[in-house]
Amino acid sequence: MPQPVSLKGSVLSLSILKVASADIDQVTQALADTTSKAPAFFKGLPIVIELDVTIEDPMFLALLVEFLHQQELVPIGVRTQEKGVIEQANYAGLAVFDPKDKPHVDKALDSAAPVVDAEAKSLPQTAMMVRGAVRSGQQIVAKDRDLVIKGSVNPGAEIIADGHVHVYGAMRGKLFAGSNGNVNARIFVQKFDAELVCIAGFFLLADDIAPAYRGQAVEIYLVDENVRFEILS
Amino acid sequence: MARVIVVTSGKGGVGKTTTSASVSAGLAARGHKVAVIDFDVGLRNLDLIMGCERRVVYDFVNVVQGEATIKQALIKDKKTPNLYVLAASQTRDKDALTQEGVERVIDELKADGFDFIICDSPAGIEKGAQLALYFADEAIIVTNPEVSSVRDSDRILGILQAKSRRAELGEAVKEHLVLTRYNPARVEAGEMLAMNDVVELLSVDLLGVVPESQDVLQASNAGTPVILQEGTDASEAYKDIVARFLGEEKPQRFLTVEHKSLFRKLFGK
Repeated sequence: MPQPVSLKGSVLSLSILKVASADIDQVTQALADTTSKAPAFFKGLPIVIELDVTIEDPMFLALLVEFLHQQELVPIGVRTQEKGVIEQANYAGLAVFDPKDKPHVDKALDSAAPVVDAEAKSLPQTAMMVRGAVRSGQQIVAKDRDLVIKGSVNPGAEIIADGHVHVYGAMRGKLFAGSNGNVNARIFVQKFDAELVCIAGFFLLADDIAPAYRGQAVEIYLVDENVRFEILS
Repeated sequence: MARVIVVTSGKGGVGKTTTSASVSAGLAARGHKVAVIDFDVGLRNLDLIMGCERRVVYDFVNVVQGEATIKQALIKDKKTPNLYVLAASQTRDKDALTQEGVERVIDELKADGFDFIICDSPAGIEKGAQLALYFADEAIIVTNPEVSSVRDSDRILGILQAKSRRAELGEAVKEHLVLTRYNPARVEAGEMLAMNDVVELLSVDLLGVVPESQDVLQASNAGTPVILQEGTDASEAYKDIVARFLGEEKPQRFLTVEHKSLFRKLFGK
């Protein structure tokens, strides 16, 4: 019999509403202007509020939440550490997120051990290039871009990209593509022997991958939430 | 110019201290002035393997903390000229070492005209191991042909490339691989990783392979670096390693099973 409920951890991407004014009228006016530009986009959009100013008005959050509901947005929480704001959030029925919990992206665990091209860094839209072996315990994260590894990824290493991933070498560690939820992200590996492959949250462990793909040059992609393999000839 | 070399592995018990002792003795025997430092504070072994445990008066921690001078603490090896040992302290722990203190010791050894300063790293990836590799110009990675050892070596290579001083300055630490406890028969039987697999995975130049041998244990118990046990395979292997380290070309040995012919079986040798 299946369990009636089960609790699972998940990383969702949410929109943050940054508020830079303590004047509720000014804020609601600006919001109305924004949402009127693309009402369909904002309809039902989950929102986390982040206050960049100190709020004096004890009703500020309640008024803001009321206004957001009127605009058909769905405020679900506040990102703050301030006691006063947390209190207001509790009254307004909003979740409180700790700003410290921001994911540490774009930083390798043992920071940048394989050489990351400085040039590639300054060109935000091109792929991140890594030369040399990615070693056990290292983590390479390509935020908002593709990742190209020229070298091997060893067991115990992790490579993560929001876009596509290319590995010109043996892939023996863990591999995440489309980590921001991009189901169209693809993986290209010259010699496949990964511990885990994951595209947009859908993953396969090594044991679940057909042995025929081991040691082969493969392309990996998603078809209807299933991770598919194709041998590159 | 003095070269600072760390002998490290990540995993324990793979042969770091054996390799430190033999490489140091081998370099010294070729006329270089060598200091070998035991960084394994609290679990000192190097002095035992070098056979100088009864002559330790001051140790590495005493010098780091300014309680003794480097000259007082260096133990001159009795078997090999030009070789000096700086023992670790048995009664302290790794927190007794500081980066400034270690730097001072290494700088003083350089000023004293040492050609090679060998740092025998403790196992693990914590403070002791990180201090041992921090000042290194070159690294000798000691690995056994089995997956956990190779994995740990991979990890320590990553730390070397991220947390050493050279890495912080944007320079590379030159890496060498020594594969110890290699048993060609077990490799053929599929019980051990083959040399090529290890080298391919770690992508580090192979300095040499040391065959699994009883002689290593016997030499350790006798307090003699195994390189000085003339006529043994392990001694030959370490001599090759020292030669290659100094830039000489030598073909790799001890990679295949020696099949004893019927003739040899019947008549011995």
